[in-house]
Amino acid sequence: MINVRDLHKSFGDNEILKGISTHVEEKEVVVVIGPSGSGKSTFLRCLNGLETATSGEIEIAGMTLTDPKTNIHKLRQHVGMVFQQFNLFKHLTILENITIGPRKVKKIPAAEANRIARELLAKVGLVGKEANYPDELSGGQQQRVAIARALAMGPNVMLFDEPTSALDPEMVGEVLQVMKALAVEGMTMVVVTHEMGFAREVGHRVVFMDDGLILEEGPPSELFSNPQRNRTKSFLAKIL
Amino acid sequence: MEVIWQNLPVILVGLRLTIQYSIVAIILMVVIGLIAALMRLSKFAPLRWIATAYVEIFRSTPLLVQLFFIVLGLPAILPVNEWFGQLWYPILAAALTLSLNEGAYVTEIIRAGILGVDRGQKEAAQSIGMNGFQTMRYIVLPQAFKRMIPPLVNQAAQTIKDTSLLAPVGIAELVYKGEIVIAETFASFAIWGLIAVLYFILIFSLSKFSSYLERRLQVDKR
Repeated sequence: MINVRDLHKSFGDNEILKGISTHVEEKEVVVVIGPSGSGKSTFLRCLNGLETATSGEIEIAGMTLTDPKTNIHKLRQHVGMVFQQFNLFKHLTILENITIGPRKVKKIPAAEANRIARELLAKVGLVGKEANYPDELSGGQQQRVAIARALAMGPNVMLFDEPTSALDPEMVGEVLQVMKALAVEGMTMVVVTHEMGFAREVGHRVVFMDDGLILEEGPPSELFSNPQRNRTKSFLAKIL
Repeated sequence: MEVIWQNLPVILVGLRLTIQYSIVAIILMVVIGLIAALMRLSKFAPLRWIATAYVEIFRSTPLLVQLFFIVLGLPAILPVNEWFGQLWYPILAAALTLSLNEGAYVTEIIRAGILGVDRGQKEAAQSIGMNGFQTMRYIVLPQAFKRMIPPLVNQAAQTIKDTSLLAPVGIAELVYKGEIVIAETFASFAIWGLIAVLYFILIFSLSKFSSYLERRLQVDKR
């Protein structure tokens, strides 16, 4: 589903990603962990073209992102993204936040888009909030709407960029619950997070990044209980 | 009082022209400002250069000089009167010059409004597959527009006042008619007072309308 070969990304003279290669299978849930500044978010943002790779190759959802001929807008319809700060459209209602993509990008009729949106709201447990504005919802509720908004486009892959980092502790659970349900349904997911409980329980594979490189990867049970690299050990010692 | 009542019909003809020029200039300045603002934010460098040059030129020279130069100066070197007609050229040129001048300020208002929208909004729009146009049209501009209303209303008020500078180039608006009436009646206190009151009514109703507009947008769109 995702194939990354020797991905490099620099901002000016500052090289953030120093050659990332990895592979994500269909229906696989990959959790990316690592200290801040290690390039996790940049890596994730490269996967849907929000950041342009300096060099290397990315194949995702059957398209080659790094090929200049690829229609990036088309590609993004197949790659859902959930942001740390939710980024719901402030001027639109919850229902409109979810329907605007299907309506304006996929040209789906309003009635059909509304039906899909209501189904998704039920799925993320927010029936009855259709007419509210994002500001009227809690952080956890907003993040669940953001997940529904991404799902409304019918993506093949979902990318999560620290989806619970901006939330009050008591709201983390409700968002992880929705993500877990998605994983169980067989959605292919790449999740950057500090939630080690989620990584252990839901992740099929954990990728540890440090200083722009993948240092170590493997099933959560192995990586957490028996890390091979010293850097991984010291990071896990601090966070677990 | 007498002199006001007697000359009111003439003054009102001028007022009508002032209103017409104001409406045309306010509409055009927003259209021009939007285009130039999008050009200034374009990835394509030549578009940025053209828009920047436009804004700097019109902001850095007096409107009165621009009006003299384009309405009265250009016909001296170009057969514009033949192209547009002797009657129409000054009318079109005056309206366009005024609009271009105000549009330079509107460009900066709209550009600031667009840049003021959180970058995450744009990224979220892109992440659901919106192209540049859709992102602007459905996500960025509606949010930018709300915060642009107060400065745009300011600029519209300025535009109404600036139509008074059309008098020296021969457009028979409010000030022009006033001068004619005063030349005949010598009633400068009464007539200038009347003209000031008429401008005040125009601009005061504009600002009342805008606070109504702002309140409405505030209520249902937070």
